[in-house]
Amino acid sequence: MKRISFLLVAIVAAVGAVAYTSHAFGQGAGEAAPLFGIKIPPGYRDWKLISVAHEAGDLNDFRAVLGNDVAIKAFRDGKLPLPDGTIIARLAWSYVPSEENNKVFGREQSFIAGSPTNVQFMVKDSIKYASTGGWGFAQFKNGKPDADAATLKKCFPCHEPVKARDFVFTQYAP
Amino acid sequence: MKRFTLFLVAVATMVGVVSLIAAARGHTDGEPAPTFVTEIPQGYRDWKWVSSAHEAGKLNSLGAVLGNDVAIRAYREGKLPFPDGTIIAALHYRNVASAENNKVFGQAQSFVPGPPTNIQFMVKDSKKYAATGGWGFAHFADGKPGDAAFMKSCFPCHAKTKATDLVFTRYAP
Repeated sequence: MKRISFLLVAIVAAVGAVAYTSHAFGQGAGEAAPLFGIKIPPGYRDWKLISVAHEAGDLNDFRAVLGNDVAIKAFRDGKLPLPDGTIIARLAWSYVPSEENNKVFGREQSFIAGSPTNVQFMVKDSIKYASTGGWGFAQFKNGKPDADAATLKKCFPCHEPVKARDFVFTQYAP
Repeated sequence: MKRFTLFLVAVATMVGVVSLIAAARGHTDGEPAPTFVTEIPQGYRDWKWVSSAHEAGKLNSLGAVLGNDVAIRAYREGKLPFPDGTIIAALHYRNVASAENNKVFGQAQSFVPGPPTNIQFMVKDSKKYAATGGWGFAHFADGKPGDAAFMKSCFPCHAKTKATDLVFTRYAP
């Protein structure tokens, strides 16, 4: 009986260790952003495209929104709410005219991605981030967290108007 | 001898028929040479993202440029010319203001893809498309390829960016 108990304890410990390792692995590398404790997910630049956008005005940026496989599948299936494990990456660049393109077109019309500004992530974990609609938010610049807790606290209230689409602004571009 | 001649004629005929079939398969519309691409490459919407662009004016488009694995590797390694097998896809949408986003931002600033307008491809095959810098061009609107006259306008325009192997779009890191 003692032996069985010991074996059980060993198994539980092993499972726990594996679960902990895989959890840590899913969080990525580098420094974690404050508030939600999110690290840069590895390989996000290889993810598939959800859509693009341009914000004029103060931001004046060009955006690409990419999703991990869980995100892409849910977007394509039109599945809401987005399931746990969904990660959405928002990459932004300065919005600059392309002299080269304009020369070819013979007029001022072409705008392209200039230098990278920052990368933001939305990570879905309905238990961990229950108080913010199941979403954790993070922002990085040059691979380092680039928004303090006070700034990241503003993410969720701003995303609340799109509650009907599980707090995600971006819609899938076919 | 007569028998041998007959055999040769038979072989020659066979070769001719086979090459005719192969040629017909290569381009369905009976054009004399494959000057542009008439089939949509499979799975392109799963490719990785290269960059984006907005063309103002008449085009008023928002575009996403994707590349297959050969293209992405070449882009990341800064390898030019692009190797055979490279395919670059440009997905174009109408550039529309997002009333929803603007309401949240409190000002008119947000532009998102509207309805898709067309999809264009550049396919690298230095032999097949030798006459157009090694690139086969494709344009599809509602799944239908552009006509020959329209397709002929691709190469002369792209020839102006010879230093980047006729490709306008640069990789966004």
